[in-house]
Amino acid sequence: MATAAAYVARRRRTQGAGLDRVLPYLLLAPTLLLVLAVVVYPIVYGVRQSFLNFRFGHAVGSVGFDNYRQLFHDPAFGQALWVTLKFVALAVTVETVLGLGLALLVAGALPFTRVARLVLVVPMIVTPIVVGIVFRLIYASDVGLLTTLRKDIFGGGPVFILDKGWSAFLGLVALDVWEWTPLMFLILLAGIQSLPVEPFEAARVDGAGGWRIFVDQTLPMLRSVLAVAIALRTIDAFTTFDQVFVLTKGGPGTSTQLISIYGYNTSFKFAEFGYGTAMLLAVALVVLALAALAVRLIRREARQ
Amino acid sequence: MLGPSGCGKTTALRILAGLELPDAGRVLLGDRDVTRLQPRDRDVAMVFQSYALYPHMTVAENIAYPLDLRHVEKTERKRAVQEVAELLEIGHLLDRRPKQLSGGQRQRIALARAIVRDPQAFLMDEPLSNLDAKLRASMRGELKRLQKRLGATTIYVTHDQAEATTMADLVAVLHDGVLEQLGPPLEIYDRPATRFVATFVGSPPLNVLPGILDAERRAFVVTGTPVPLAETVFEACRQHRVTELGVRPEDLAICGPGEAAALPGEVYVVEPLGNETLVQVRIGDSVVALLVGRGWDAPIGAPVGVALEPSTACFFDPDGRSAVHRIDRPEARRPDRAAARGEPQTRERSVL
Repeated sequence: MATAAAYVARRRRTQGAGLDRVLPYLLLAPTLLLVLAVVVYPIVYGVRQSFLNFRFGHAVGSVGFDNYRQLFHDPAFGQALWVTLKFVALAVTVETVLGLGLALLVAGALPFTRVARLVLVVPMIVTPIVVGIVFRLIYASDVGLLTTLRKDIFGGGPVFILDKGWSAFLGLVALDVWEWTPLMFLILLAGIQSLPVEPFEAARVDGAGGWRIFVDQTLPMLRSVLAVAIALRTIDAFTTFDQVFVLTKGGPGTSTQLISIYGYNTSFKFAEFGYGTAMLLAVALVVLALAALAVRLIRREARQ
Repeated sequence: MLGPSGCGKTTALRILAGLELPDAGRVLLGDRDVTRLQPRDRDVAMVFQSYALYPHMTVAENIAYPLDLRHVEKTERKRAVQEVAELLEIGHLLDRRPKQLSGGQRQRIALARAIVRDPQAFLMDEPLSNLDAKLRASMRGELKRLQKRLGATTIYVTHDQAEATTMADLVAVLHDGVLEQLGPPLEIYDRPATRFVATFVGSPPLNVLPGILDAERRAFVVTGTPVPLAETVFEACRQHRVTELGVRPEDLAICGPGEAAALPGEVYVVEPLGNETLVQVRIGDSVVALLVGRGWDAPIGAPVGVALEPSTACFFDPDGRSAVHRIDRPEARRPDRAAARGEPQTRERSVL
């Protein structure tokens, strides 16, 4: 009662000044301004920029959709798109398989779960840049971890990873797998632990062995969790930048040049800001579509 | 297997199924030692309390799954599913998913999945406990008919003594992980091995009255009133140093408070049940329940007598074991009840 009375009194006081109506907006203002400044403004600016032509870093006129059309005729973009797709497909597949395997392994042994969760989370909380630097040190052909190990244990020569196209690409995939398998593991472990126990016991009594249980029961029941995890990870993998930037800068040649790196180079190396933003916005749209799909999957999961 | 929750009956069933390993002992299926075998190698089918249907499969797929695992041909599989579906009257549900079914329907699907395999034994873990009371009663009869028709050994776990006595050929009463008694339902009812079995089986439960043996009067004295005992019964009671008398509610009768040999008490509460009346009477520190005819009534606190026919009483020793069983002679029973029950076996006066 006392609070209600106080509320009415406060209402009377503030109503006169019109503060009552403005107050919510005032309170929201700092956050809103921040969002406008760092999210909305750059996007609007970027979209506008993607329709402009740049010469030596200066806008020299509008070109309509030319920047977007150019994407279809640019072999370098095609190459970058191909590398990105290869990278995403390979990395996400390996991460899913490894994550699922680890989750199944750990889910069975309950006392082990906590420790495993703790250890496996570490790669995820390391800054991507640092991950790139660490892997550069691992792969370095002179003082790198792999070279040192080979030298000291097998007496062999230096290990070259980042100097050949295919090995650099696989090295990059390995980095991503190291960093993001834990995410898959955590999502899938939570999924597995939320499954009902009885159907699995029923399947055992009905005559199913380990493999049939996995194929007939675990996978179908995990389907929506798997879909969500893969969707999330795919979206994230499309925008990988920091690690590549530190590790290879897209090289050797264009073998690890993801779209994010190509877009960065186009903008900041060749000062073609219009084309660079157009490219990255196009990719953003694809990722946005994927995100919408992921959200739908999550919603459907929640409904069930 | 009958027992209160937590007595270990489900664990025992899971050991039979192979879902859990016993700490000691062997599991024999016929002559086959299956103690260390995987569930799938035991050829038993289980119906779970929660039904444990496969949520992502249709009803038909659920039922066919055990056959699929045994590499049964597709047409044969389909035929078997049809047959079982017909038997359980679930043919119209075959394309649905478990989520779209009611509890009773799910229960039938779980049964169908077990039956389709034609296993050596059925294991059922409280399959009726998730159904409402009415459906439970009708399914109880259906299950019994089905079991008789299939003729397969069925081990049925329940905490409901009515289910146990109505459905079983043999009842195993479990308590705190210990097998208290194994026997046919009526033997469990008439000759309970322990105080626990005696009070667990039967509704309303058996009355237990503490008292002391009086050697001079050859009687068991309950709150000052002697219950005279036959010589053999008294000897057995003395030998086992019995401390408690047990008597079924239907073996007690109400009489006037002053009547000789009646236990004096006062009405605790009167509960009309329809065709009869449940009366609870306070005798000393205990409250006993007894059944009288319909229409009987008395105010709370009214003094009444409880007539106890000594030959219908059983006696327990201090460890809760039955020292003397209830004597199951027809002439010792109240005539109206003996007729209604159709006396199964006539047993000689027996003393443990």
